[in-house]
Amino acid sequence: MTSPRPRQRFSLDDATPNPADPRPAEHYPLDVTSHAHEEEDDATRAPGLDTALARPRKRRWGLLTLLGGSLALGAVEAGRTLYQATLGGDPLSGAWSALLLLALGLGGSALARELWRLRRLRRHAVLREQLDALPEASAAQAGRLAERLREQLQLDRDDPHWQAFCAAHQPHHDGAETRTLLAHHLLAPRDREARRLISRMSGDTAVMVAVSPMTLVDMLLVAWRNLAMLERITTLYGLELGYASRLRLFRQVLANLAFAGVTEIASEASMELFSMNLASKLSTRAGQGLGIGLLSARLGLRAMRLTRPLPFDDTDNPRLGDLRHELWQRVRRLEESATPPR
Amino acid sequence: MRQTLAREVTNLLERGRDRQLRLAVTGLSRAGKTAFLTSLVNQLRHAGLEARLDLMACAREGRLLGARRVAQQDLAVPRFPYDEAMAALDETPPRWPDPTRGISELRLQIRYRPGRHGLFGMMNADSATLTLDLFDYPGEWLLDLPLLEHDFLSWSERQQAALTPARRELAADWLEAVAELTPDSTADEAELAAIAERYAATLRAAREAGFADLQPGRFLLPGDLAGAPVLQFFPLPGVGEADRQALEALPEDSVYHTLSRRFAHYQQHVVKPFYREHFRRFDRQIVLVDVLGALNAGPERFEDLSRALSTLMRSFQYGKRSLVSRLFAPRIDRLAIAATKADHVTPEQHANLVTLLEALLAEPIQDLRFADIPVKALSLASIRATQSREVERQGRRFPALRGTTQAGEEALLFPGEVPAQIPETDFWQRQGFAFEHFRPLPRDARGDALPHIRLDAALDWLIGDKLS
Repeated sequence: MTSPRPRQRFSLDDATPNPADPRPAEHYPLDVTSHAHEEEDDATRAPGLDTALARPRKRRWGLLTLLGGSLALGAVEAGRTLYQATLGGDPLSGAWSALLLLALGLGGSALARELWRLRRLRRHAVLREQLDALPEASAAQAGRLAERLREQLQLDRDDPHWQAFCAAHQPHHDGAETRTLLAHHLLAPRDREARRLISRMSGDTAVMVAVSPMTLVDMLLVAWRNLAMLERITTLYGLELGYASRLRLFRQVLANLAFAGVTEIASEASMELFSMNLASKLSTRAGQGLGIGLLSARLGLRAMRLTRPLPFDDTDNPRLGDLRHELWQRVRRLEESATPPR
Repeated sequence: MRQTLAREVTNLLERGRDRQLRLAVTGLSRAGKTAFLTSLVNQLRHAGLEARLDLMACAREGRLLGARRVAQQDLAVPRFPYDEAMAALDETPPRWPDPTRGISELRLQIRYRPGRHGLFGMMNADSATLTLDLFDYPGEWLLDLPLLEHDFLSWSERQQAALTPARRELAADWLEAVAELTPDSTADEAELAAIAERYAATLRAAREAGFADLQPGRFLLPGDLAGAPVLQFFPLPGVGEADRQALEALPEDSVYHTLSRRFAHYQQHVVKPFYREHFRRFDRQIVLVDVLGALNAGPERFEDLSRALSTLMRSFQYGKRSLVSRLFAPRIDRLAIAATKADHVTPEQHANLVTLLEALLAEPIQDLRFADIPVKALSLASIRATQSREVERQGRRFPALRGTTQAGEEALLFPGEVPAQIPETDFWQRQGFAFEHFRPLPRDARGDALPHIRLDAALDWLIGDKLS
């Protein structure tokens, strides 16, 4: 057992310096090596509340084991058959098992690719979350995130947009300022491109629906066009979609559309009314086309909002209203050319 | 006369169309007003070419075409000495522009392309212009504005309250002289002049010691009034509101009445015209504060600066703009407060600098929030004088600055941390602050725009909405 600490008396003025005190000035000799201001690498951030509150990640271990196990066992089985067929001189069964091996190999690589792409989608979501918190980030963190965004968008270091960003970015810019610059230099060109894409493809869909004679064909057409649009938007924002990731994203977009739909319709009620007003001026088919086109455009905008690495802020949020006019023009032009003026 | 009328009508039209802005650059002496104006003109002049104005939306989108100095409104006021200031910065070794000794004006015509509608709209091909009126003045005179709320008696009372122990020490000479004076004695011109001169010396000494809340401002910088009897008054110590009736009853040639008359004359004929002609018509305002200088000077000066700024900001009219108020009674509807000389600390200290600035201006900010006027606090350096570097020590990297100190010596240093809140009094005695002053960076090429920190963000906040 330790004895109790003896009495000790401190002089009033030898208190240890308060650790909260600001650091005093410090002079360095001029010949000390100094570096241009670079982002120092500080410890990675602890996972925040957001990640803790996010939907728990489902790992489908059962499905994966089943698939992986059958692939592995099948490969072993086929290998053995092939070996015995070569020994036993049965070329037909040997060829079959070789074919099976090839098929298993293809299936395995497809599975691996899917998994890898799903992983990319998840990484993208994480990056998105981090970039969302950019205004609170320090200058060093902001610089690192910018670098990761560049990688995600697959830009080279000598890409003119990245170069423009580097020229504009100064060491004293904080998170919010870096965000503004990133949005302008790296994402604005992609936004414009995505917007052109949505406008063109939803217009195409509208026209197709307006001229197609059969409902079933319509449905197939719309589904195909929308999926194609989604894929191209995600590619623009640096995401490569596999089958599963596409499905997941599509589900997300639809869920988002359903949830956001109510509030958005309430806020854009006048616009909806206006569109209906317009649609009533068209023939039934053209009206349907316009409706489908609007829905498709809305889907595209949702996908854009969900996949853009830097979430939109209120001012630059793309709105359906911007696209409506163009859609209307296209359908209208179609209608006019179909019914010759009397 | 006809010309004046035509000019007035044009101005009125321009204001009606909201194509004219008057920017108030407010700051006490040595806060960096002249540097701010010089850099502002320089950046806008070089906009779209060499100037880096990436935080200004209009410049970032390539819509800002540039600016030009045009003939100013009032021909009787000298032009802002932009060329002289640039010449000072171009000297070898470069030096800061001379402090302002009088009023000057400048009118800038900014040309830009109006923006697109919405995110994706078409680019507008036509260019438009915005006229920006700027105005420079000695910061010392600014402190006269709060004087308008007082009469001689209440002013005297307030000046006594402002005499903190440190200032009382500086004013010892004057206090001794004025103690022998009684308010009811007959005024002696020569004696009053001598005491007033001592009072002026007191104010000058206090300014040297870093105090800011100094009235009347013309005592520090008389301009063309040097030696006139209007500048020969001073507050009477030891009088208060309670003595008002007794003092009023004194004969006309008593010391009290003579001083009171001079004070009233100073108010009516010096401060009021200055206020009426230059300070009433503002649309936007930027308040520049030298936070680092105040930190260097110590707690008492810090308090003093805070008090001076909050009384000062009461002299401006804030409010929402409407067509009518825009035409006839312009009010400041948007405001930036800036901690200047941000280049004198390392970049990661900027956040603390802004927090400290907000603490310093807490009271005016509360009033502005109540009036629903948008305020933005930022740290800026109108003309950047240092380069941000990093020094490696014991395997870790520390931020540092490289520049030439005011003494002319090249230095690589860490200037010290900026506290996030006003430190306690005993910290100043224990450690204190010693932020170094730097010379402007020598410029490689004459044609280049001046380097700056966040001047673009300030401009975007102040005039960006009119350039969209």
